[in-house]
Formats: sequence, C-alpha cells, structure tokens
Amino acid sequence: MKRSETWRKIKRNRLLYLMILPGLLYFLIYKYLPMYGLIISFQDYKPYMGIGGSEWVGFEHFNRLFASSEFWMIFKNTLVLFALQIFVFFPIPIIISLMLNEVRHSFFKRGVQTLIYIPHFMSWVVIVSISYVMLTLDGGIVNAIIESFGFQKINFLLNDDWFRPMYILQVIWREAGWGTIIFLAAITAVDPQLYEAARMDGANRFRQMWHITLPAIRNVIIVLLILKIGDVLELGFEHVYLLLNSSNRNVAEIFDTYVYVAGLQQGQFSYSTAVGFFKGAVGLVMVVFANWLAKRFNEEGIY
Amino acid sequence: MINWKKEKLITVLLLSLLVFAGCSSDSASSEGTGGSGDGDSFTVMANLHSPEVPNDKILEIIEEETDKEIEIQWVPDNNYEDRLNTAFATNSLPEAVFLKNQASFIQFRDAIEDEQFWEVGQYLDEFENLAKLKDTVLDNTRINGNLYTLYQGRPLSSQGLIYRKDWAENLGLEVPTTTDEFMEMARAFTEDDPNQSGEDDTFGLTDRSDLVYGAFKTVASWFGTPNNWGEKDGKLMPEFMFDEYKETLDFFKEMYDNGYINQDFPVTSKTDQQEFFKNGTAGMYVGSMGDVVSLNNDAIAINPDVEFDVQNKIAGPDGEFGVWSIPGYGSLVMFPKSSVETEEELLNILDFFNQMMTPEIANYSYWGIEGEHYEVVDDRALPSDDKALTDREVKPYMAIGIGEPETNGRYESVFNYDAKEKAEELTKENEDYLIEDPTVPLYSKTYVDDGARLQEIITDATYNYIIGQMDEAGFDDAVENWKSQGGDAIIEEFNASE
Repeated sequence: MKRSETWRKIKRNRLLYLMILPGLLYFLIYKYLPMYGLIISFQDYKPYMGIGGSEWVGFEHFNRLFASSEFWMIFKNTLVLFALQIFVFFPIPIIISLMLNEVRHSFFKRGVQTLIYIPHFMSWVVIVSISYVMLTLDGGIVNAIIESFGFQKINFLLNDDWFRPMYILQVIWREAGWGTIIFLAAITAVDPQLYEAARMDGANRFRQMWHITLPAIRNVIIVLLILKIGDVLELGFEHVYLLLNSSNRNVAEIFDTYVYVAGLQQGQFSYSTAVGFFKGAVGLVMVVFANWLAKRFNEEGIY
Repeated sequence: MINWKKEKLITVLLLSLLVFAGCSSDSASSEGTGGSGDGDSFTVMANLHSPEVPNDKILEIIEEETDKEIEIQWVPDNNYEDRLNTAFATNSLPEAVFLKNQASFIQFRDAIEDEQFWEVGQYLDEFENLAKLKDTVLDNTRINGNLYTLYQGRPLSSQGLIYRKDWAENLGLEVPTTTDEFMEMARAFTEDDPNQSGEDDTFGLTDRSDLVYGAFKTVASWFGTPNNWGEKDGKLMPEFMFDEYKETLDFFKEMYDNGYINQDFPVTSKTDQQEFFKNGTAGMYVGSMGDVVSLNNDAIAINPDVEFDVQNKIAGPDGEFGVWSIPGYGSLVMFPKSSVETEEELLNILDFFNQMMTPEIANYSYWGIEGEHYEVVDDRALPSDDKALTDREVKPYMAIGIGEPETNGRYESVFNYDAKEKAEELTKENEDYLIEDPTVPLYSKTYVDDGARLQEIITDATYNYIIGQMDEAGFDDAVENWKSQGGDAIIEEFNASE
C-alpha cells in the first residue's frame, strides 16, 4: 500500500482514529515509555547519577540471577502457579456459565450470578485475612471442626503442602463468578433456532450443550485463554505476597514477590529490573507460542 | 470547515493530555516534591506509627514558634522502606528525610559515601542545641568519621517481660528470674488454668512474626547470645553461629511443641499478638516494657480485673543476665543534596531542628499542649487520660523530634500507673547489662549490598526449626548456605575493618 493511500484512508476515517487515540496514548505513556527504564538492568544503576551517568555492567545482573540457587525454585513456582491458573481455574467459569445457562428460573439464576461475582470486589488483603482467621491454629474455626471430629489439627498456613491448594481455591472463590460474565454474554448470543433444530433431532439438554453452546463460544474461550497465557507471569503479586511466609517460601516465592523484595525493600534497583525483564521475556514467548498454536488449529488468534 | 475539524482534533488531544497530566501530577505530588528553595519552608518525610494522620493543631504551633513553614509527608510504618526507596529511586526525596531504623541507614550507606547527602557534622557547633547531641550516639552514626544525620534518641534497651500478675498470684507463681522459671510460667499459664475458668482456654507467651522486636532476640540475649555479631576464638562471627543461639532455638521449640506459644506466631501480626494478651488468652508478652501502658488501657476495657507487671533481669542457664541494645537512636534524619540545594537552605533547616531541641518546642512535639494533652507534675509530664485525643493530635509528631530528654530538655514522663513507672526504671536498669552490637562502627560492602537478602535465609531457618519443619542438620545447612552466598565475605570484611 502506498503511503499517500494510507493517509487518505486515515483521513477518511479520522473520527474512528480519534477514538483509538486515548487508548494508544495510554499504551504509549504507561506501557512503552517505561520500557526505557529496562536499560538499568544492564547498569549498576545509581538513582542520583541517572541512567545517563550510571556505570554499564553488561549481563552481570542476569548472570547473577541465573547463577543464584533461588532462580530455578522461583521459575518452577511461577510455572506451577501458572499451570494451576490455566488447568484448574480457567475451565471453572466456563462450567459455571454452562450450568447457569441451563437454569430456567431467571430470578434464581440472577441471584446466583450476583452472589458469586461479589467476591471480585473484595481486595486480596480482605480475602487472605478471612482465610487466615478461619485457618489459624490459634482458634481458627476450621481446625476447631477438624479437632471436634477427633483428627489432628492441620497447619494450613505454615507449610509447603497447603500453599498451592489455598492459593488456587482463593483465586477460584474470588474470580470464578466474575469470569462467568463474558461467557454468559457469549452464550446469550447463540441463535435459539439452533437449539430448536437440535431438539427436533432429538438432542437432550446435555447434547445441546455439547454440540451447540460449546462450539458457539469456542472462539471466546480461545481468545480468553491466549490472553490468560499472556498474563503467564502476572499471577497476582499482592495475593501471593500476602500468603508468603518463612515456611512456604520454597513453593510460594515467585518472580513478582522476588522483584518486590529485592528491588523496593532492599534497594537493588538494577538486579530487580533484570529479574522483571527476564519475566517479561518469558511472558512474550508464551503469548507468541499460544497464538501460533491457536492458528495451527485453524482458530482465530489475537493478532 | 476543515479548520473546525482540526480544532476538534486538537481539543481532543489536549483534553486527553490534560487527563494524563492530571493523573501523573497527582501521583508525583503524592510521591513527594523536590526542593522549594530557601529552607524556610520545606518538607519532612516521617514515619507514621499510628493508623491515622494527626490534625494540624500541634504542627501550627511548631510552625509559629520556629517561624518555618513545614509540610510533613506521613508514610505508614509498614511500607516506609518501599516509599523511601521509591522516592530515592525517582529522585524525589524531600528536604528532610527520616530513616526507618538502623537497617535502612546501612542500606543508604553507598549513596551517603557518594556524597548524596549533606555532611552536617561541620555545622553542629554553630547550633547551641544540636551541639548537645551525645557524642556516643553520634559516633554510632558516623561514616568514615563524617556525620550525615541527626538522631532521634531512644533508650538503649527497653526490652523485657510483661506478664499477668493476677494469673501468677492465682497460681502462686513468683516472678521469673531465670529462663527456667520463664519456661515454668509459660507452662503453668498454659496448663494450670490461670484464669480459673475451668476451661483450657489460655496459653503462655504471645509472639509475632518478628525475630528482632518480637520475643526471640530478647530471649536470646537472656541466654547470652551476641547482638547480631559476637567474638568467637578472637574472630567476629554472626550470632547464629553461637551455641547460645541454638539454645534459644531449642527453648522456643520446646515452648512451641508444648503449645506454650501461639502456634501460628511466624505469621501473627503485632495487632493479633497484642490482642491475645489484652483479651486474656495469653499471659506473657516479651518486647518493649513501655508498651504496658497501651496494653493495660485496652485490656481493662475488656476485663477490669486484669493486672500487669513488668520484669527484666531474667538470667540464662549460666546465671548471667544480659539484654541486647540498640545504638542509642531509633531513627535518623538526613538531608539530600538533590532537594536541599544550597548551604543557606541547609542551615535554615538545621536551624529548625535546633529549635526542635529547645525544651518548649520539644515538649510541644512530644507531649502536646500543657493543660490539654498533659499536666506537669513535679517537673515531669503526666499525659492526659484521653488516650484517643493524644493519639490523634500529638503522638505522630514524636516522629519528627530529635535528641532525648537529657539533650533537648523535654519533660521526662510520669505515669499514674505503677507498672509503667516500673518499666521506666527497669529500662534504666537495663543499661548496666547491655549486649552491644560490635559491628555498628564497622563496614562491610557485601553486608550493605546483600545483608538483608542473606538474613532471610537465617530468618526462615530459625522459624522452620522452631515449628519443627527443619532439624538441626537443616539449620546447619542454612548457615552453610548463608556462608557460601556471601556470608563468608561479610565475616572477612567485618574482621578486616576492625
């Protein structure tokens, strides 16, 4: 396409272009400009010298990261939590949406929907605190019940085994309801005639769900899945940080928490930027891969 | 026509830019602003220890008396370090910056050595009151012989035990004077129904997720553990390589295994820790003995029969008593060159702190307004009973004071509460038994860079040993890990700089 032609097109649709301008500006200012700061991961950055004045150290910080004994632990933990998000959490809103869609009683349906998406509006601090109060060994109700049945108390908070279940259950409790909104919206867009036709062919409710509803929302599912994979390493810093303690660090320390502690609490700006940079690179590879995979299966990707 | 379209475009552009500018300037102003010039009006970044920002009543008086305009950036205590580092990284530190504690001072050492902050030692003698600051404490804050900070004095050691006197009397227990008796009290408070309720609803010691200001370090010093570092075979070694540290570990493990201590203490907040004590679930609290006042105030609101008492000299197995000490300061204030641009400006700000050390203003900032927030009794200050009022109007301003009663002439305290009086006495008494940190005047580059990160290895191991998730071999491995990741270098450097 020739340049003049491009300009003509832009001119002709200038109002449309005007509409994307705020979004474009947002990404420029908040997503692209800050990337300039990644430079400091190759420096021994001193805030008062600025990026111009700090010493260059090449890949020193990356070497330190890959050499540190914690690196593989953090990498593994991040991937495990990511896998939990994809394989355990992701299908749940879809299943709930399909189930809610089968409910014919609209008052009940709306009630359930409202009830399950309320937790999304609570902060992680509140949710983790509630869990803490319920699960603590010092008078927590869950352990009181376990004890009353004659079992040993379970140390939920201070051990490696319970961190992951606790993490994913809290994610499900908070986000599953919110996740149903978009799927339910997609389901309502399905042409009712398809269902009628299926019924004529003798499909029962389950068959209708399997052959009509699911294929109809397949695109939405795939796009959301790719977007989710794009957030591979955005596991909710706040949530994990609040659950993290001395006794579950082996499974709970992830890139985000590591960056926060090293960077902001201990003032190692360059090193923590390098860690964040590496994390971003991994995320990018994952998205491109997921998109490529989607295309391979003849689905629409996100670009 | 076309012009009109163009104008529309420009308007939208400008509008969206304005929105962004609005957002960013908002965040910038909350992060703090740079210098404003003359030093007669400046900003102080200070630590807010209470939940709410105080009103301006006291600040206005201070401004009037000192003839300065001051803005205080209050930062909540629990994210003070982040904010400090963020402000530093974005070059937006205000003119006077209080550090959180000794640890953050160590972190800023590199920047201080790079002359990013004003050297103030050279000006001290020009100011009548600043010149009174104690040399012993100033020496603890010198870097290469230079002084970059003014200190906020704190008692060297106010650590001790606060316990339920009424429970002890119920069970006929004497006040503990040895670690064995301490353990016995913890046992009795757990198992012998000290509140005579007929239920198993109490335990001994309440602790929290803090090995330093919680119970661990204080109990460790009773056992004779060095304060961070100690001498062993003529060499400086970190505390956790000493047998006494391990004895303390076993002591805590025994308490933990028997349920004498809250089972989730490694994740318990200070609020929850104190709640156990106030509501009559736990009977022992190890920490700052002065806390007995606020603990008592809240506890008698729940149960008027509660009686607290304090105790310090608890001897270890060898019959000796010791208690760890801080270097004589709680917090320090520094003056960044990025915001204090001229010597004149600096002198103006120092003049303010000099005035903060006059008895009159020191009293305003520490006690409040006489007749409103406190009474003078025998030349000492008696705070008002209306704790909510003093918390709201006065207490936060303690964070901007410097010096101590001896140097700034503010009233010593008097309390109409025996346990608090006793706590003050015992704090003075502690000064005869101090265990000091020998590395305060020393320097180790590796410690400055990686000390905090390495300490985490030991902290984790300490908790995990106590709760039984790690055996002695595991703890020793953690120490080896600490050594191999940079600990060896720290040992070398500290010993070399002696």
